Amino acid sequence: MVLAQPSTPKRTRRPAARLRTLRAGDVARFAVVLVLMLLMGFPLYMTFATGLFPNGVLVRSGLFPPLNQLTLDNVALAVRSIPLGSQYVVSLCVVVIQTLAQLVTAALAAYALVFPRWRGRAIAFGLVIATLAVPGESLVIPNYELVSQIGLRDTIFGIVVPFLAVGYPIFLLRQAFASLPLELWEAARLDGCGDVRALFLVIMPACRNQVTTAAMWSALAAWNGFFWPLLITDSPANRTVQVGLSQLVTAETTTPSVIFAGTALVLLPTVILVIVSQRLLVSGLASGAVK
Amino acid sequence: MNSITRSRTLRQRVRTAGVGPWLLLPAAVLLAVFVYRPLFRGVELSFFGSDLIGNPSRFVGLANWVEFFTTPDFQRTLWTSLLIAVLAMCMSVGVALSCVLLLRRWLPGRGFFQVVFSLPFAYSAASASAVFFGLFAPSVGGVNLLLDGIGIDGPPWLQQPAWAIFSIAATTAWYESGFAFLVLIAAIKNVPEELIEAAELDGASGGRLSWSILIPLMRPSLVFLLVTQTISGLQTFTQVYVLTRGGPSNTTTTLVFQLYQLAFGQGTPDFGRASVIGVFLVIVVGLVTLVQFRITHRKDA
Repeated sequence: MVLAQPSTPKRTRRPAARLRTLRAGDVARFAVVLVLMLLMGFPLYMTFATGLFPNGVLVRSGLFPPLNQLTLDNVALAVRSIPLGSQYVVSLCVVVIQTLAQLVTAALAAYALVFPRWRGRAIAFGLVIATLAVPGESLVIPNYELVSQIGLRDTIFGIVVPFLAVGYPIFLLRQAFASLPLELWEAARLDGCGDVRALFLVIMPACRNQVTTAAMWSALAAWNGFFWPLLITDSPANRTVQVGLSQLVTAETTTPSVIFAGTALVLLPTVILVIVSQRLLVSGLASGAVK
Repeated sequence: MNSITRSRTLRQRVRTAGVGPWLLLPAAVLLAVFVYRPLFRGVELSFFGSDLIGNPSRFVGLANWVEFFTTPDFQRTLWTSLLIAVLAMCMSVGVALSCVLLLRRWLPGRGFFQVVFSLPFAYSAASASAVFFGLFAPSVGGVNLLLDGIGIDGPPWLQQPAWAIFSIAATTAWYESGFAFLVLIAAIKNVPEELIEAAELDGASGGRLSWSILIPLMRPSLVFLLVTQTISGLQTFTQVYVLTRGGPSNTTTTLVFQLYQLAFGQGTPDFGRASVIGVFLVIVVGLVTLVQFRITHRKDA
C-alpha cells in the first residue's frame, strides 16, 4: 500500500514520537473514523467477498463464512452468463486506442498552444477549454447519427471514434508545457530539432509526471465509459465490460453472488491502478482540479 | 551584425517559423466534428418531430420546447435530477471532508483508512451500480438479509419512490466520494503547517481549527467539488439504468434517462424531444460552470 507511510521527511515520525502526538479526544476521533470506514468499506468488502462463496452464504453466515466454503463457481457462472471474455478484449482495445490517441492529439495540440506564436492562439485555447463544460450526454444523438451513417455501429472503432481527442488531457498537458522554461524549447529548436522532434524528444520527457497523469485519466475514462458504448453497440460480444455488467445485473437478478463475481473481475484492473498509483493520482488531481 | 541581435532574430524566427501551429489540427478537427458539430445539430434537431418510422423530418418549431417547459412529466424529471444531484453531492463531499479532517493528524492505521476511503474512486458508475444492486435488490439484497439476521425489517430500497431516489443518490455518493477524498487530501496537504501550528498555539483545535482555518483554506477545492459533483449528478444515467430503470412508475426518471428513453428506448425514436433535454443540459451546465469560474477567479485576482 503506497500511502501506508507518508514518505516526505518532514512527516515521517518515529513510533515514540507518534505516541506523543496522540491527544485527549483521539479515542473519539478513532471511533468516528472506524465507523466511517466500516460504512464506506462495506461495499468494497461485499464486492470482493460475496462472489467467493455460494449464493447467499456470505450474508447468512454474518459476513464471515467458514473458509472451506470458498469457491470460484460464481466467476465461472458470470463468464457463462454474459460473454465477459470477449467484452474484456473489447474494453482492452478501447482503452489502448483511446489512451494512445488522446495522448498524441493532446500532446500535439498542447505544443501548438504553448510554444509557437501565432494569430488566434488564445481563441483556439478558449475553444478547447470550452469543451470541458459540455456534457457528453448532450452529444450522443448527433454523434449516433454520424457514426451510424459511416457504418461504424457495433464496432470497436465506433466506440472510440468520438473520443480520439478530448479536452481534459489537452488542458493538463498545456498547463504542464506552459510551466517549462521557454529556453528549453528554444534551445532544442536552435539545435536543429523540428517541432515534432522537439515535442517528443525534449518537451514530453520533461513533463513525464503530467503525461502519466493524463494517460491514467484517459485509460480510466476509457475503461469506465458506459452511455456511449451502450448506445453504439448491439451484439453482446461487441459490448464493453461496463455494458456487460448491466446485462449481468438483468440476467442474474436473483443470484447476487454471480453479479458480485462479475463486478469484481471488471474492477480488478482499476482497483490495482488506484492502489499502485495513489500518490501520483493525488498530485495529479491537485494540479488539475483547481484552476 | 553583432551576435546578440543575430541570436535575437534567430529566436524570433524560431518562435514564428515551423509547422508548430498546424500540430493543433488533429485535435481541432476531431473536436469540431464530435463536440461542436453535435452541439449545433442538437439545437437543429430540437425543432423537429419524428415521422412514423422515427426520422426527425417534421419541422415543429418550438413545440418540443414548449412541451418540455409545460408538461408535469418533464418538470418531475427535472426535480428528480436536481434532488439526486444535490443529495449525492452533499453526502459525498460531506463524508470525504469529514474523513480528510479526521485523518489530518496521525492515527493508528491511518494509511489503511486512506486506502479504503480512496478506493471507491476505482469504481465506474456501472460497477458501483451493480454492487449496490446486489446490496439493495428486492428479497435477495445483502443489506436487508443482514438486517433480517438481527431482526430488523429493512426498507424497500428500490421499490418505493423516496427510498429509490435515496438509493440512487447513495450509490452515486459512494463512488464519487473516492474522488472527493483524493482531491481534498491534496488540498489539506497544501495548508501551510505554520498556520495550523499558530492556530493551535492560540488554543484552536478540532472543530474550531477545521471550521476557521482548514475549511476556508480548502475553499477552492471544495467549490470545485461542489460544482463538478452537482453537474455530474445532473447527468445521472447509469445508476438509474442499472438500479431502477426509472421506476417505480417513473419516479426515478432523470433527465438523461428520459433522453435515452425518448431517443433509444422501446417506442419510435424521438430525437427531437430528446434533443431538447440535451440542449437544456448544455445550457444549465454551461451556466453553472461560468458561475464557478467567476467565483474562483475573482478571489485569485
